[in-house]
Amino acid sequence: MKSLIQSAIAVIVVCALLFYTAETLESTGSAGGAGVITVYNWGEYIDPDLIKQFTEETGIKVIYETFDSNEAMLVKIQQGGSNYDVAVPSEYMVEIMKEYDLLIPLDHEKLPNLANIDPYFLDQPFDPGNEYSVPYFWGTVGIVYNPNMIPEHLTFETWQDLWDPALRDKVFLVDGAREVMGMALNSLGYSLNTKDDAILRQATDRLIELAPNVKGVIGDEITPLMVNNEAAVALTFSGQAADMMWENEELEFSVPEEGSNLWFDNFVIPKTASNIDGAHAFINFMLDAEVSAQNTDYVGYSTPNAAAMELLDEEVVTDERFYPPEEIREHLEVYENLGLEWTGKYSEYFLKFKMAL
Amino acid sequence: MNRLPMTARIYLAIVFIILYVPIFYLIFYSFNSGGTMNHFESFTWEHYAAVFEDTRLIVILINTVLIALLSSLLATILGTMGALGIVSLKNKKLRNTLLSLNNVLIVSPDVVIGASFLILFTIIGVRLGFASVLISHIAFSVPIVVLMVLPKLMEMNSSLIDAAHDLGATKRDVLTRVILPYIKPGIFAGFFLALTYSLDDFAVTFFVTGNGFSTLSVEIYSMARTGITLTVNAISGIVFVITLLVVIGYHIILRRSSKDSSNVEVRV
Repeated sequence: MKSLIQSAIAVIVVCALLFYTAETLESTGSAGGAGVITVYNWGEYIDPDLIKQFTEETGIKVIYETFDSNEAMLVKIQQGGSNYDVAVPSEYMVEIMKEYDLLIPLDHEKLPNLANIDPYFLDQPFDPGNEYSVPYFWGTVGIVYNPNMIPEHLTFETWQDLWDPALRDKVFLVDGAREVMGMALNSLGYSLNTKDDAILRQATDRLIELAPNVKGVIGDEITPLMVNNEAAVALTFSGQAADMMWENEELEFSVPEEGSNLWFDNFVIPKTASNIDGAHAFINFMLDAEVSAQNTDYVGYSTPNAAAMELLDEEVVTDERFYPPEEIREHLEVYENLGLEWTGKYSEYFLKFKMAL
Repeated sequence: MNRLPMTARIYLAIVFIILYVPIFYLIFYSFNSGGTMNHFESFTWEHYAAVFEDTRLIVILINTVLIALLSSLLATILGTMGALGIVSLKNKKLRNTLLSLNNVLIVSPDVVIGASFLILFTIIGVRLGFASVLISHIAFSVPIVVLMVLPKLMEMNSSLIDAAHDLGATKRDVLTRVILPYIKPGIFAGFFLALTYSLDDFAVTFFVTGNGFSTLSVEIYSMARTGITLTVNAISGIVFVITLLVVIGYHIILRRSSKDSSNVEVRV
């Protein structure tokens, strides 16, 4: 009995010590007084030094939390129980969150740095007038490939190259219905928001023709496969491609000229926010030219911040793979919310293709 | 026991190699200056330094251990009381029903438990954070403790208790001087099992973290989206060492308590 009580007391003492350490660690770095905001962002999607800098400048302490998918974030915000002041959903999720009435309209007067954003990225169909969202990073869907592992004539300036017989059993596709169906639609010259059953069926047939070349339909595992030269070609997001190319310099990335998807991750303020002024201050801070440049340098995705681009390395912002020129941009399309019926159809046809593999 | 047959020894060796190689592989690369797990360049402490520089990560590590210790302690107390309660039931049918209910909780998927807790907490208005994580960890640990303590109680000879009563022991004396010392190994086993459960739980914790409170499993999961960095290896290395220390501590306690219990038996 005595040893049981002793052990219990030992555990409690250790707990108290741990609690004390955690508390002191957490309170260092906060200037105190000016409030707290909770930021909910993707994993590894911000330079941690900037959070410190924000706290030093404004006195607002930042509680930083991460999520790994739009859907997981939606569930946490919908259920309440946590006060997120700033979140970073992708464009289609902004639309859904608007529909569910989960967002607070932004006060543009409190966001003077919004002027830094390239107008090309503002006023997009998923959020006209940027009433609820501000773009954080953006990108495209394209093809990442290793030129040493495929014939020279394939440069993927057109989607057509994917169907080349030389690529038999060499192509990986990202496991997303919108991405893969969109690629097929684009390759046939249609919009990736098509709502026409006949055209969708045509696109599915086109995909089934691609089947002999497809080695797998997978998710994030594409990154290590490409980095370790175990795969030659992959259809994936530009952000992911940038990560791969960072680690493997042989890789190339191309956005075919027929068109592709343009995606955004955006700052929003959820209805659960408890410090709305703090949230605006944070968003405005992140839109600052220098801050955004530093952050872009750290994260490695494409920034919509025109003022930041002037501060970034010439080499980075003139890289046409990640900052495509006007002609290619013209063909980029943002996903529209297709509604339940058509989202279902896209998934159904995508499944049909996967079953044909 | 001393002389295992050769085939058994080889089999055992293979099992242990399979179990430990990934862990050592991971830890080995946490000292790699190369930045990836492709090839080893040279030795460095920089990834460990990165962990200790990132106060957020350290706080999360501390939180994880804190939650594990506290929830296991409380779960052990509750679970032991539960086991005592179940054993003391005279009604066989009720006893078996309670036992089955206990087992159902052990086999039910963590995702279901996690989602249920999230819904429960939002209905009754518990803010997600330290309390919500603690409560759910206690909840999924209690059935494990019950299961570890019960066999000890079952194997206990009831004449021990009768003898104690005959010698004039009160109910309290019987509990603190006879039953608890006897089932002590079960209690410790329950505590340590609860500890490991809590340390590595992802599915339940994922649903109930919030308001800046997070544990390692959830944090590493979000970090892994952009590829595993060697910082993750370094944290894993640290956690492995902590677990190793816990296991060593467990063995020391066990050896001491087995000496204690032999004393008890002499006294009884």
